[in-house]
Amino acid sequence: MRRSWFHWARATAIGAVSLVMVAACSGNSGNSGSSDSAGGPVTLKINFWGDFGLQDLKTKYEADHPNVKIQLNSGEYNAQHEDLQKKLIAGSGAPDIAAIDEGFMVQFRGQSDKFVNLLDKGAGKYESKYLPWKWKQSLTPDGKTQIGLGTDVGGLAMCYRSDLFKAAGLPTERDQVSALWPTWDKFIEVGQQYTSKTNKKFIDSGTNLFNPILGQQPVGFYNEQDQLQMDGGPKVAFDYTVKAVQAGLSANLASFQADWDKGFTSGSFAVLACPAWMLGHIKDTAPGTQGKWDIAAVPGGGGNWGGSFLTIPKQGKHVDEAYKLLEWLVQPEQQIEIFKKVGNLPSQPALYADPAIADFKNPFFNNAPVGQIFPKMAQGLTPQYLGKKNGPTRVAVENVIIRVQNKTLKPDAAWAEAVKEADKASKS
Amino acid sequence: MSTTRAAPAPSSHRAAPERGRSGGDDRRLTWRNRLYRFDMRYMPYLMIAPFFLIFLAFGLFPLLFNGVVSLRNYRLDDPTLPYWAGVENFSKLLGDEDFWNALYNTFGIFLLSTVPQLLLALVVASLLNRKLRAQTWWRVGILLPYVTPIVASTMVFSVFFSRDFGMANWVLGLFGLGGGDTPIDWRADKPHAWIAIATMVNWKWIGYNALLYLAAMQSISKDVYEAAAIDGAGPWKQLWRITVPLIQPIIVFTVVLSTIGGLQLFTEPMLFDLNSQAATGGPNGEWQTIGQLIYKVGWKDLNLGYAAAMSWALFVITLIIAGLNTLLTNRLAGGRK
Repeated sequence: MRRSWFHWARATAIGAVSLVMVAACSGNSGNSGSSDSAGGPVTLKINFWGDFGLQDLKTKYEADHPNVKIQLNSGEYNAQHEDLQKKLIAGSGAPDIAAIDEGFMVQFRGQSDKFVNLLDKGAGKYESKYLPWKWKQSLTPDGKTQIGLGTDVGGLAMCYRSDLFKAAGLPTERDQVSALWPTWDKFIEVGQQYTSKTNKKFIDSGTNLFNPILGQQPVGFYNEQDQLQMDGGPKVAFDYTVKAVQAGLSANLASFQADWDKGFTSGSFAVLACPAWMLGHIKDTAPGTQGKWDIAAVPGGGGNWGGSFLTIPKQGKHVDEAYKLLEWLVQPEQQIEIFKKVGNLPSQPALYADPAIADFKNPFFNNAPVGQIFPKMAQGLTPQYLGKKNGPTRVAVENVIIRVQNKTLKPDAAWAEAVKEADKASKS
Repeated sequence: MSTTRAAPAPSSHRAAPERGRSGGDDRRLTWRNRLYRFDMRYMPYLMIAPFFLIFLAFGLFPLLFNGVVSLRNYRLDDPTLPYWAGVENFSKLLGDEDFWNALYNTFGIFLLSTVPQLLLALVVASLLNRKLRAQTWWRVGILLPYVTPIVASTMVFSVFFSRDFGMANWVLGLFGLGGGDTPIDWRADKPHAWIAIATMVNWKWIGYNALLYLAAMQSISKDVYEAAAIDGAGPWKQLWRITVPLIQPIIVFTVVLSTIGGLQLFTEPMLFDLNSQAATGGPNGEWQTIGQLIYKVGWKDLNLGYAAAMSWALFVITLIIAGLNTLLTNRLAGGRK
């Protein structure tokens, strides 16, 4: 009797455990299907952050394609990238179309086997339409796999507060301001004039000086063999930055933080390196400063900061439909529509000549001709290779700059420290 | 059980009518008996089984799998590495200055948060244990910080401790400390950052621990206090000589809980960082905790094997500290018995 009861209990336990295991395993069994039969209703999920200007386009596409439903999923910038990374490892759950930012592209490009090779789908015909460096950013080093098509590019310009400039006795008209700083040395001189006159800080942060200068150098942190090259571009950018910090120009504010946001209205700083997508942020953060901000050229020629791509993870069930949508989204009409809507600058240079872009003036920024300024900067850019470890290395060097700014590190010891930290990051 | 079970066997040799009657009785008895036995002996196991099954699937298995991963080369950005790494990840850990820095920070913040937290909770609980007006209001109020989502409260504190426009500096400025032209940069060095983070932890958990203590204190008989009061013991002495020894088990419990929580501290240091996606815990790792470092190594450096090794190290460290703490609190709280 006891024996039989024991049997019964054991059988129950085994049954329960196997139930749990079946439940645990069945989650994996669904990802083998590749593409649904055409004709059936298909839901395409797009993950991105902020505003990609897709809302109206979604309605339009759904009207033209009754069998397709589009699900827009906007999340936080970092969360979206980390979520994508986790889903790629898990093998399921990724969206049909995932947006990836320039800063994360190298990381995902290294896992190109997890993305649909858009060249297989015939995306090669778009290569000539794109800015060459933009096309290259999402292309694997061997040139055989293209994991994404570019959406916007940052371009680069210098935003400045004309009212503060006036108070400091500096010119306020944008061409005259651009003429003030043909080089970064001149830029720092102007900053010194400003601070000595007003006793206020000139730039928001040393890191936001370091990044644009680094972006202008022919070689960034890494060469094409993925070796750390600190003595080239990074040294140039770092020296200018430390010089500006030592001259007392920096308000030492961390980007996208409360104090930084307050700085736009309180006048904590007078200039800010700004890519196209920054305009929307300034407008949203400091709506009261309409007309006070203006846009001048960035010292030292062209440059870029940020910009995104749309990719198709391989694990999606509707890869073909996703590609059709992706292809549609990067067509000129849609790209111009997005530019008009949210200001994101397309990465196809032919569009810059389009009157819809070329003649666009931004009323918030004193009617600055943004359709002229940003394309010029994006086109003037020297393509720069971003290494696999570019992200962590940039953070490591930025941290050294912050330590110089908050005076926990002496400026003359800073470069050695930056090299050490960058080296550590490159091996992390 | 075996006797009743043996009974029907010989009964088959008996005469038919007899057998039918007695056999039926037997079966009824046995069935009731069986149910009873089942209820007494196995039902408890069945009732607690779901927890253990779920623990096996979602607790133990990940733990063991994590152990396997910690012995592997598991780099998301480099699949070409050999499969097994052996103890390489662990030996790398010993020489990793980031790990020791994170351990140092974790202990610093842990001490700054746990000790004042539990002491204050004790004081708050003994105050709540008195006759108060609007007693329920106070008792519920003290739990409110615990109910607040940790992310929300940390974001508020993050602004509170900001350098230029933060309220912390404004308040200190009223007393002539910091503020003005030389505001305290809460994120520039270890002491300030640790204090800021410990404040967030304390704010959240004091009320929770106070309620646990209060529940334990309610079970102490009033007579003891009356007797002590007659003998001339003041409230402070009563707290330390009577209350604390009598609620010792719950104190040990809270110490263990806060040890585990304190060593796994993650959200607060993470969101305190101005550049939180980098997970560096300040420009020079001033307040990077182990939890944060594990996150950085796993999801930023994409080195999951090394992160797993760190998790295991943290597990062992937590076990040791929790054990030491239990011993110590037992000694301290029970020593005067």
